[in-house]
Amino acid sequence: MKEFLPFDHRPDAMIGDALRRALDPGDASVFVARVLGRAERIRQGVGASWDGVLASWARVGVAAAVTVALAAGYVLGRSAAAPAPRRASVADAVLAPATSTTDVEVVLASVIEN
Amino acid sequence: MADSQPPGEAARIAQQDEAELVARARAGDRAAFGVLVARYAATARRVARAALGDPDDADDAAQDAMLSALVKLDQYDARRPFGPWLLRIVANAATDRRRRRTVRRVEPLDPALVAGGTRPDQTAERRALGQRLREALATLPARRRMAVVLFDVEGYSHAEIAGVLGIPEGTVRSEVFHARRVLRGLLADWKEEIG
Repeated sequence: MKEFLPFDHRPDAMIGDALRRALDPGDASVFVARVLGRAERIRQGVGASWDGVLASWARVGVAAAVTVALAAGYVLGRSAAAPAPRRASVADAVLAPATSTTDVEVVLASVIEN
Repeated sequence: MADSQPPGEAARIAQQDEAELVARARAGDRAAFGVLVARYAATARRVARAALGDPDDADDAAQDAMLSALVKLDQYDARRPFGPWLLRIVANAATDRRRRRTVRRVEPLDPALVAGGTRPDQTAERRALGQRLREALATLPARRRMAVVLFDVEGYSHAEIAGVLGIPEGTVRSEVFHARRVLRGLLADWKEEIG
C-alpha cells in the first residue's frame, strides 16, 4: 500500500470503489417512482400548493397539542379541586371554632381515654 | 466537485442545467423534479445508508429528504450547486431518523456481519468484503461515515462537505482522516487474507 498523507485532499479511489460497492443501493427506478408517486399523492391530497401540505400538517399538530393541553388541564384541575381529607389533630380540636363542638368532643375524649 | 478537480466546462454546464431544472420544478414541472430525483437518487441513498446502516431506513430517509427539498425549493439559491444543498437535507433527515431510532431501540448488530464461515468464492468474497466494510463503518460515528462517503465515494470537496454536514472544514478533514485509517486497515487485512 502506498503511503498516505494524514489529510490527503484527493479522494481515495480504492476506498471509494469499495464503499460504493458496499453501499450500493440497487435499482434507482423503484426508488424514483416511489418518491414521485408520494409527491403526486401529497399534491393531489392537498392541492397544488406545497405550503398547503405543511399548513395541513401544522394544523393537525396544533389541534393535537390543544387537545392534550385541555386533557392535562382537566385532570390537574380535578385533582386540585378535591384535596385529600385530613384527620383532625388535637391542636385542630382545641383551636376549632365553637360551631364544630362534635369534633372537639370526640378528639378530647380520645385523648383523655389514652 | 473534489478539491483536485476545479469545476470545468462540463461542471459549469451541469450546474446551469440544474439551476434550470430547479426553476422548472419550482414552477410545478413534475418532469423536472423527476430528473433531479433520478440524478441524485443513488448519492442520496448511499449517504443515507452510510448514516443509518439499514437500507430500508436509508431509503425512507432519502425519500423524506427529496420531498422536503421539493417543499423548500423556494429557499434554494440557484447561484450555488444543487447537490450539496440537497445532500444537507438528506444528511439532516438521516440524522433525525437515526436519533428517533436510537430512542426506539438499541441497534442490534446484524448477525450476518459478525458470522464467520467457509472460504467464499470470488463473488461471495466481494459480498463478504462489502459486509465487512459496512460493519467497519458501523463502528464509526455517523458524521464520520457520511464525511468519508461524501469525500471518497461522491467526490465532494471538504468545503462542500462542511456545508452539507454543518461543521468546520477542518473537522471534515479530521473525520475523513479517521474514517480512512479504519477502512484502510480493514482493506489491508482483507488483501492479506485472500492472499
